[in-house]
Amino acid sequence: MIKLTRIDDRLVHGQVSFTWVPSLDINCLLVANDKIAADEFQKMAFNLAKPPTVKLLIHNINQAAAFLNDPKSSNARILVLVNNVADAFRLAQDVKEITSVNFGGIRMKPGARLISKAVALDENDIAIIRQMLEKGVELELRQVPGDRKQAVESLF
Amino acid sequence: MTSAYLLIMAVVMFGHMEDFLGAALLSRPLVLGPLVGIVLGDPVQGIIIGATLELIFMGNIKVGAAIPPDVITGGVLGTAFAIMSGKGAEIALAIAVPVSIIAEMIISGLFVLRPVLNSRFEKYAESGDYRRIEILHIASGLAKPVLMGLLAFLALQLGDEVMKRFLDSIPAWVQSALTVAGNMLPAAGFALLMNLMFNKKAAAYFFLGFILASYLKLPMIAIGGLGVIIALIITDLNSKKQPADNDDFSDIPDEGTAKTGTLVNKGDLRKVFFRSLALEANFNFESWQNTGFAFSMIPVLKKLYKTKEQMASALKRHLQFFNTTAHGSTLIMGITAAMEEQNSGREDFDSESINAVKSGLMGPLAGVFDSLFWGTLKVIAAGVGISLAINGNSLGPLLFILIFNIPHIALRYNLTFIGYNTGNRFLQDLAKSGIMDKLTTGATILGMMVIGAMPAILMPVKTPIMIGAQGSQVALQGILDQLAPGILPLGLTFLTFWFVRKNIKTTWILLGILALGFLGSILHIFV
Repeated sequence: MIKLTRIDDRLVHGQVSFTWVPSLDINCLLVANDKIAADEFQKMAFNLAKPPTVKLLIHNINQAAAFLNDPKSSNARILVLVNNVADAFRLAQDVKEITSVNFGGIRMKPGARLISKAVALDENDIAIIRQMLEKGVELELRQVPGDRKQAVESLF
Repeated sequence: MTSAYLLIMAVVMFGHMEDFLGAALLSRPLVLGPLVGIVLGDPVQGIIIGATLELIFMGNIKVGAAIPPDVITGGVLGTAFAIMSGKGAEIALAIAVPVSIIAEMIISGLFVLRPVLNSRFEKYAESGDYRRIEILHIASGLAKPVLMGLLAFLALQLGDEVMKRFLDSIPAWVQSALTVAGNMLPAAGFALLMNLMFNKKAAAYFFLGFILASYLKLPMIAIGGLGVIIALIITDLNSKKQPADNDDFSDIPDEGTAKTGTLVNKGDLRKVFFRSLALEANFNFESWQNTGFAFSMIPVLKKLYKTKEQMASALKRHLQFFNTTAHGSTLIMGITAAMEEQNSGREDFDSESINAVKSGLMGPLAGVFDSLFWGTLKVIAAGVGISLAINGNSLGPLLFILIFNIPHIALRYNLTFIGYNTGNRFLQDLAKSGIMDKLTTGATILGMMVIGAMPAILMPVKTPIMIGAQGSQVALQGILDQLAPGILPLGLTFLTFWFVRKNIKTTWILLGILALGFLGSILHIFV
């Protein structure tokens, strides 16, 4: 069962383990990222960082989609983490269960604009966001669970 | 009075210098309160008020971009006005809460404005001008203490008469209601802390801490000591079991940290450590701690790169987005120093990999160090410090600083060298040994015991209700004290925790407790 799908370019870090994991009672963190899934060093680093109470899975996007679509995964309370908008879109296309995407942190890059304290988007991101909205995916911006949900499209 | 106000302004500025002092908790109310007390000639009252504010703002920690209320400005002004008008901690609290919320908005504004400077930093980097980067980093960092100090001075100078008249006009019933509410408000802090660590396994340790404090009346230091022992026993018993989901990392090649260089010496790394204390001086909402990272690396870069072009590309590399727990940042800096040394000596070294490793490590290490420093050390330091300071004991603030900073400075200093010397091998060994899981488990046990003891020791919520027929009345509190001492604060803490788990905003929770305190006081349910 997917409790949250979050875009956060630092993936597993303090905010995630401190606020989202306890608040949603998460027992499985799924990092979906092609590069990291192939990088033993990064995988090791994230394994160090995970809270002791959760299982951490690091898959590439295709594997992640397959895992989420597998009925076996419905027993776990999963927080899915991606680090960019495009990956969120790929995942949402392949996994029907993803009807809402949380925007947590996307750092500034050239050509991008901050739409909130912690989220910066460029033209490319916005084009993908429009496609996701057309598909009826809810896009909400919250850094921590206690924040008020803001619709991403209302901010640019 | 103006000279005293100038000194209080200096206290506010000192508090806001935290960004240059390595987030060492010197800016917390428990430290600044006594300083205000000394300035105004009443150190004991300063310690007591500082402890009260520390309790209420305990759950306020900076994780990620979530900036908490500015308890520096709010706390100092609240303490100052309360002492000057001869009032107690409840008045300090009534001033500190609104002022800290307003001050937080001003500071957030500063963090939004600072990115304007980024193009300037870029330009200096382009020309390899590290001197100017240093100057701008420091100058921008000084803006916060100067600005907040001046605002505090103005508030004191212009507001003191109005404030005194206002405080004198507060009726007695409001004051006693504020006292009741002030006794209840720490529940919010406890609940926020519990939210970080509470789970089915940890619950037992929470109640153990509570029982030791409420029935056995053990002081906080004893409970902390017992917590350490129990944590050691439990984690040692588990020592033979390796964590199941840890892969075998033995086949991972070391990435660029094989030590061959001799250019970077101990002195350079020591400089990196000292500079890391100013990591967050130019914290901003666009690229976060980036200039602080560059600032910290400059002693090493100066050693390694002699041409303008080399220096320029290195500076640009380290002005990229960076954000991690300040206390453990030196580990990444040490690793980076080793990689830069490789990069300077080898033609075939991929300088891109430096930033890849940096950004690969900053998130995971923030997860590790946030829980260690904010989740555990800070909680224990505050628990011990407050329990002493609330009675006016000057050991409270002192122990608070020492319990946190002895491990903090020792780790922060040594991690610089560990990062440089063993770098990724150190992380791999950590991962293989499963020591991180043990450390977090032990830290949770200790933290939960201390938090469990807190409602019993630090929340004097009582009821004046009498039960029974006229003439043979018994105090309800007396019965409670015999059966389940501390049940009121415990119940209130769990009620608040329930709301925190329901994702109710902290501000609403605080207002709710405030309302409950007022109502309880007026209806004579609580004293």
